[in-house]
Order: sequence, then C-alpha cells, then structure tokens
Amino acid sequence: MNPAFLKKVKRNDRIARWVITVGGMAIIFSVIFILILIAEVSLPLFLSPDKDLHASFQLEGRAAEEKILAMGVDEYLETGYRLDQAGRVNFFNIADGSAIDSLQLVSDTGSRRLITAQTYGRLNHMLVWDDGSVTIERVKFFPFFDEADDNQRSIRHELEHRAIFAPPSYGLPVKTMARVNDEGRQVRVDLFRSGIFQITIIEEEESLFGAGERVQESHQLEIDSVGEVTAMTLSTDGIKLYLGTSKGEILRWDLSEIDHPVLEETTQAFLDQREITALNMVFGDVSLIVGDQQGGVSTWFPVRDADVGWKLTQIHQLHGHAHAVQDVQPSPHDKSVLSIAADGINVSHMTSERFLVNIANGAEKIEAFAQSTRGNGIITLSDHGTVQSWKLDIPHPEVSLKTLFGKVWYEGYPEPTWAWQSSAGTDDYEPKLSLTPLIFGTLKGTFYAMLFAVPLAIFGAIYTSQFARPKFKGIIKPAVEVMAAIPTVIIGFLAALWLAPLIERSLGSMFLSLILVPAALMLSIALWQGARKLSPLKQVERGYEFLVIAPVIVLAVAIAAILGPGLEDWLFAGDLKQWLFNETGTRYDPRNCIIIAFAMGFAVIPIIFTISEDSLSNVPPSLKAASLALGASRWQTVWRVILPSASPGIFAGTMIGFGRAVGETMIVLMATGNTAIMDLSIFNGMRPLSANIAVEIPEAPVDGSLYRTLFLSAVILFIMTFIVNTVAEIVRQRLRAKYGRF
Amino acid sequence: MTAVINENPIIQVNNLKFFYPGDARALHGIDLSFPEKNVTALIGPSGCGKSTLLRCLNRMNDLIDGCRVEGEITLEGENIYGKNTDIIELRRRVGMVFQKSNPFPKSIYENVIYGLRIAGEKDKKLFDERVEKSLKAAALWDEVKDRLQESALGLSGGQMQRLCIARAIAVNPKVILMDEPCSALDPKSTARVEETIKDLRDDFTIIIVTHNMQQAARVSDHTAFLFEGNLIEYGLTDQLFVKPQVKQTEDYITGRFG
Repeated sequence: MNPAFLKKVKRNDRIARWVITVGGMAIIFSVIFILILIAEVSLPLFLSPDKDLHASFQLEGRAAEEKILAMGVDEYLETGYRLDQAGRVNFFNIADGSAIDSLQLVSDTGSRRLITAQTYGRLNHMLVWDDGSVTIERVKFFPFFDEADDNQRSIRHELEHRAIFAPPSYGLPVKTMARVNDEGRQVRVDLFRSGIFQITIIEEEESLFGAGERVQESHQLEIDSVGEVTAMTLSTDGIKLYLGTSKGEILRWDLSEIDHPVLEETTQAFLDQREITALNMVFGDVSLIVGDQQGGVSTWFPVRDADVGWKLTQIHQLHGHAHAVQDVQPSPHDKSVLSIAADGINVSHMTSERFLVNIANGAEKIEAFAQSTRGNGIITLSDHGTVQSWKLDIPHPEVSLKTLFGKVWYEGYPEPTWAWQSSAGTDDYEPKLSLTPLIFGTLKGTFYAMLFAVPLAIFGAIYTSQFARPKFKGIIKPAVEVMAAIPTVIIGFLAALWLAPLIERSLGSMFLSLILVPAALMLSIALWQGARKLSPLKQVERGYEFLVIAPVIVLAVAIAAILGPGLEDWLFAGDLKQWLFNETGTRYDPRNCIIIAFAMGFAVIPIIFTISEDSLSNVPPSLKAASLALGASRWQTVWRVILPSASPGIFAGTMIGFGRAVGETMIVLMATGNTAIMDLSIFNGMRPLSANIAVEIPEAPVDGSLYRTLFLSAVILFIMTFIVNTVAEIVRQRLRAKYGRF
Repeated sequence: MTAVINENPIIQVNNLKFFYPGDARALHGIDLSFPEKNVTALIGPSGCGKSTLLRCLNRMNDLIDGCRVEGEITLEGENIYGKNTDIIELRRRVGMVFQKSNPFPKSIYENVIYGLRIAGEKDKKLFDERVEKSLKAAALWDEVKDRLQESALGLSGGQMQRLCIARAIAVNPKVILMDEPCSALDPKSTARVEETIKDLRDDFTIIIVTHNMQQAARVSDHTAFLFEGNLIEYGLTDQLFVKPQVKQTEDYITGRFG
C-alpha cells in the first residue's frame, strides 16, 4: 500500500475513534446530567431545617414598662409588637428594637388592666381584663407605598376589635377561654375557683325579616373528673372544647348547640396519670396538641371505633422536652407545632413527626414568643428583657421518607394509610404525598399490560418467524411495526372513549369469550386432526393455519357477544358489575386495568413482537436443520432449539417493552381514571407515577413540596427503568453467553 | 446411464426428478441404489445436484418452499414420498451430518441425547449409555468424557463435527447422510473424521457428498459421479477411480474440469 494512502487510512481511523468515543461519552454524560438536574430539584425535600439568629437586642425602657403578656410579628419579619398589662401595644423594628408606634387598647367596661392574653390564629389575641371581661383583638399589617414620602415602603398597622364578652356573674374566673367565629358566634368558657364551670354562647339568630337577634345562653356545669382542670383549649370556631386535668384526663366537649353543650367523652389519656399542662388545636382545628408534665408533646383526634363511637386517640408523638411543657402553639399556616418548656421552643411537624428546630436563649428563660404567620420567623422575649429574632428556613416540614413511602395517619383518617392527594378546596387542607400508591400504580398497570402483551407478542413472533409463509411474514411484520407508530394519545383516546364504555357494556361477553375462544380453538384443532386426513386440506396446513384459526376466533367472540347479556341475566341477575360488588365487594371502575391491559398492551406489543421476531429469525437455519434432521417436529424444534437460542433477544424485547410500559404516560393518563388507590383488582384503575407527573406538574407551585415531590417521583421512575434495564442487560449477557455464538 | 448394484440395497432411487421453485430442474431422473452398511460417495462438480440428491433421501428438501419431487425413493422397500410417510419417523431412520458443524447451544451431553429426548425418552441410564457409545463411535469420547456437561460451543471445529456425527448416530439410524462433512475442517481434523467414517461402516449405511476426490477414494466403497443433474457413472470406488467407464468421469477425476 502506498504510504500516503496508509497514512490517510490511519488518520481516518483515528478520527472515527475519537468521534465515536466523544459521542458515546456525550450520551452518557447527558443522561447523567438529566438525572442530576431532576435529583437536584427534589433534593431540598431532605435538607435539614435551618435557624438563623438575625437580631438580638435589649428592650428599651424595660424597667418602666409593665409585664409583657403577648408578642407578635408581621409576616415580612420587619415589625414586631408587644402587648403589656396596661393594654398598650408597642410596635418596634425587629432588626434593632427601635420603637415605631404605640396603640392603646381600651376595654369597653373602662378597666385598663389585663390579666392574661392568648394568641391564636393570625395575630388574634384573646385578652382577659381584670374586671373579668374578655375582648378579642386582631393586629393587622398593611404594607403600602407612601406617595408623600418618595414612595417609600412602609407598613401601616391597625387593631381590629373583634368581640367583647361581658364579665361573668361569679366573679373572676381562674381560667378563661373565648373565641368568636366569622358569623359573630361567641363562645366563652370560664372555670371558677369554686369548681363551677360556665359555658356562655352568644349567637345571632336569623329572623324571618333578616335582622338578627342576639341570643345568649349560659350553662353552669360540674366537671366530673379525678384531677382538676389544668389546661383548656377551644377551636377557633368555638365549637370544640378540650379540657386537660392534673391526672392525665382529657374531656372532649361539643359546643355546637347553643342550648345544649355535650360532653362527648372523658379519656384517660395517660395511664401514668401525668398532668396535662398545655392544650391547643393544630391548624385546621382537627387535631389536639397535648403537652404534659413530663415534657411529652403529642397530637390527638377522635377516631371512630366500632364499639364506643368516636374515641380520642393519640395519633402522633412529637419530639419532647426534658422539662414540663409550659405551652403549645400551632403554626398558623401548616401542621407544625411549637412547644415551649424550660429548655426552649421546639418546632415539630405533626404529620411527618419531624423535629425541626429548637430555639433557646442560652440560660435566659423565654417569657413570651411569637411566630410569623408564614412560619418563617420567631421572636422571643427572655426574662432578662432580651428580644431575639430568629429566621427559620424550614423548606418542607411535612416531607420525610416516612410520609413519602410509609403509612401515615392523616387527620380524619380511621387508620394509617398510604395516600396521595395533593390538593383540595380548603386552605387548611394538608397535602398527602405518599409515593407508594403511585409506584404501586405504575407496577400494577405495567403488570396487567405485560400479562396481555407478552404472550401475544412472543407467540405471534414465533408463529410469524417459524411457521408462517415468508410471504405472509412480509405483510404482517411491517403491519405490526406500523402499530408502534400510532401516537399513544390516540390509543389512550380510543381506550377511554370507545373501549371503556364498550367493555363496561359487555363485561359478561368479555368473560364469556375468555372461555369460549380457547374452547373453540381446542375444538377446531381436534376437528382439524380429523379433517387433515383429506389431502387437499393438508396442503393448507403449512403456513396457512391462520386461515383456519382466524374465523374460529372471530366466530367464538361473536357467539360470546350474543350470549353474554343472556348469561349475565341468568347467572348474575342481569348486572355482573353489581353482582361483583355484592358478592366480592369489588368495585367496578369504568376505567380499569382491563382497559389498560388492552390499550397499553397495544402500544407495547409491536416492540416486543419486532425484537422477538428478529431474534427468532436470526437463529441460524443450520440449527433448525440439525434439529429437524434428528426427527424433531416443528414445535419441538422451536421449543428446544430456536427459543433458547433466541431467548436473549426475546428477553431484551420484553424488557424494552416493560420499560416502555413503565414510562408510558398518555394512555394511562387518559384511560386509568387516575385514582391513587392500592388495590390489585383488575376492575380498578390506578394512578401511575408518569401520569401523576403529567397531571400535577402544571398546578404545582414551583419549588413547593408538591413540585419537588413530583421531581422525586421522576427520579424514582428513572431509577426504576434504570434497574429494569440493568437487570435486563445482565440477564441478556448471561443468556447470550449460554446460548449464543451468533 | 444407470448403474444398479444389487448388493443388498437399503435405499433405491427410481427415476427421481427434482424441481426447485420456478420449475428449475435440478435432477433429471436418477436411478440409483445404495447398498447397506457401505460407504457410498457422491461426487461431481458444484451444482451437479449431489447435495440435492442427498437431501431428497431424508426429505430435508421439503423445507424449501415450492419445490417439487417426481419419481420414487424407497427405504427398505417403502416409498418415502408416499402419502402415509411420517417425515419424523423417516428422519429418525435417516440421520444427517451437515457441511458446517451445527451443535446446539447446549452441553455436549444434551447435544448427543437430543434425538432421544425429542422422541420422548426419559431413561437416564439409557442416556448415559447412549452418550458413551455414540461418542466412542464418533471417536470423541476420550477427548470430552470429563466435560460432558460443558457447552458444546467450546469444542474445536473437528470435535464439533464429530459431535454432530455422534448426535446423528445416537438415535440409531439406518442411514447417515453426510453433506461435505470435512469441507470446513483442517487436514488433521479431516483425517480424524475420515477415520470415524471408516469405523462406522460396520454398523451404518453412510452416504457422503464430497468435493474432495481423494477423500471419496479414501473412505468410500462405492462412488457415484453426477453431472448436471444426471448420474454419469456409478460403481465400486476402486474401479471408478482406476478405470472409469465414461469419458466425462475420467475428465473430472483427472481434474480436467470441475
């Protein structure tokens, strides 16, 4: 060879090697890059919460001031306020403590001193005055741009006087709790030193002429408990009342009826009779937070019990304290719980039972604290007069591995479950983000689709490659491959709007054909054994069997379609679906796994068929000849020689089909019904990961828990297909080493 | 021309005509009889129809779509192209070894007993016995007896071909057809396979197609020379090679064409 040409050949060889290497690496890197990109979005779900002390200062003029009863902070973490015994609300800049403004609260009865204050909801303060009257005040912040002052942003604050409760006739109460709801219904509960317990409810009664008439009812009751009442809480709407006692009992009252408060139950919450020191309601007013003498913090709600009706049950045990719990507070925007004891404030999330942060001011004792309504900040006041302002960064308190994959006992549920329900109509709704039913749904849909597709595709491939005439194969193979080109949205559309109603109408016929078709096939084969003695028919046999089989199948399906309704009438009282529900408790969803098996099977069959057919056809003819020459029948040859030799290819085809079914989105989206249930029944639908992402991502707030959880589910989908493909490749290599030389 | 050797024939071919699809005639009326427990070689230039004739003997040509056979072949007096012939039964009696060795992707052991297994045999003792006997007959036993369970694909080319012979004889056929069994082998392996063929002569009727005239001369008792679909000359190997009766035969074996 001439040297110049040789050089050129070598150069081209080098270039080709580089291009191929770079191309291959680029593919690997881009796949890894995509995975990293997706994982990076979901990763913050698992970041630990962060707290940051961004201001700490001594309160000005502390000595002159009265005792501080309550504090508050706006949602922008700019302005804080403190409420003192004189009824003065002092606003201050929480960055440095400089005073901004001061407002004076006035009790309608003229008294000017406060005994206690309790904060609830969004900066609502329930204030008990020294004459026994109670008012409910709300502090409001309005940011605005001041035109007079060069459009500077400043915050206006206002006090909203929401309700006033007259003093009780028994003198000063020991404990008082009052709430007002949006319709003006006022509930006040007082406990007096004498042991008398009074519930006062004021309602606007609707009259026929529109003008409301105020109705007041008071009930004096005796408390029937072993210990004395040590803690008390009312729901924000004033309907649920809980009392805790020094002997560990919880009393649950229902105050929904104005003239008849009902003690629903008295529960011995703690068997060791520890004192209940603090009670409050979790945001949403369903769960009760219980803080106890031994530092335990737990949440409770009534669960329906078959024997005793609704029974208050401990649901979650949260991170506790080393000392007795002084107070418990709900977060005003999610299911987080704050508890305060001598060792500081603990923030935990109820549902995930995650302990988020602890806030303490060294050796100084926290006297008052307030949290911002967004849950992003807490200010504390210590007994030394130090105000500390903490910024909290708790991105996804409700998410933990347990809530994502384990059974979680959600509020209002009778037992722990896996649930996916990301949104609902109300603001206090808690998203339920369990991925387990979605993974289950993916596997279930794939399983039924493969159950339908794999035998059909592989036997079809065997027949086409080994038994059918080559001319026939030349038609059938491209035809099946064209099936793969049908957009899945069309398959899904047909499955949902044509197939689902059809199968729902003719369920009986469908099951009948499951029996009739194989029976008819058996019968026709038996008949054929007789008929093939006639030599003209024998000529048909080789490679044209389908000409005999196809009409038999069509006929069997037709007979099933005709007999189906009659059979349903006769055996299942006219309605197989109703019968199924009555007899087995199985609910029939119109969009179910039968539909998915057909529709997704239809999408997967071409892949499995084509790859299997190729690998079957690629088995060297010499092997087939060797087997036939030894006196093997065609079927024996296929079963013992062709299939094992083609098994790596068939397996690979099946796995690629499996991967396709796992990732398939459009068909399942349209034809599954998208209910995230965990039920293996073929008559139910499911919600697979892929369809779930498609459904939810447009509505998921960017960087929210739902958004990140959806990305996490994408990672899981990625990992699932990765595992399937890796296992498939390993098995394929093994099979190839065993059977292959080709 | 016809040559019939009436020395206890096991296969009798009478006026056999074979047409490939599209009526391309490959055999023009062959009359031939193969004596039992003898080695008969079919020789002739490429395309003369010797392989076609061989494949007619166990109806492997049936696999070709659209081919047609006229005439008659009898195996032990029975027409194998008759209406009631069981092809499976026929192929058990007429085994075949192919040009390119084609062991199954299974163990050596499983390869040998394949014919027995597909016949529904399940007796493990019979399997062991037959494996040993067949491998010994194919002169492979000593080389593979310690690795019977290993894949047959790990054997050398010559060993694979002898394994194919062992596989063919394991079902105890009457006739073994060999279609250029040594054409893909090196001289040393060829010699071993030829040795094997000679040894098998006592128990089986062997019909071998070969391109190699020295091989035909070495291993066969009778030789048939085919040319363009016709049987030109048939006789004892010694006579045919030393003193051919027909000019074409002489031209071919002396290397003037082919």
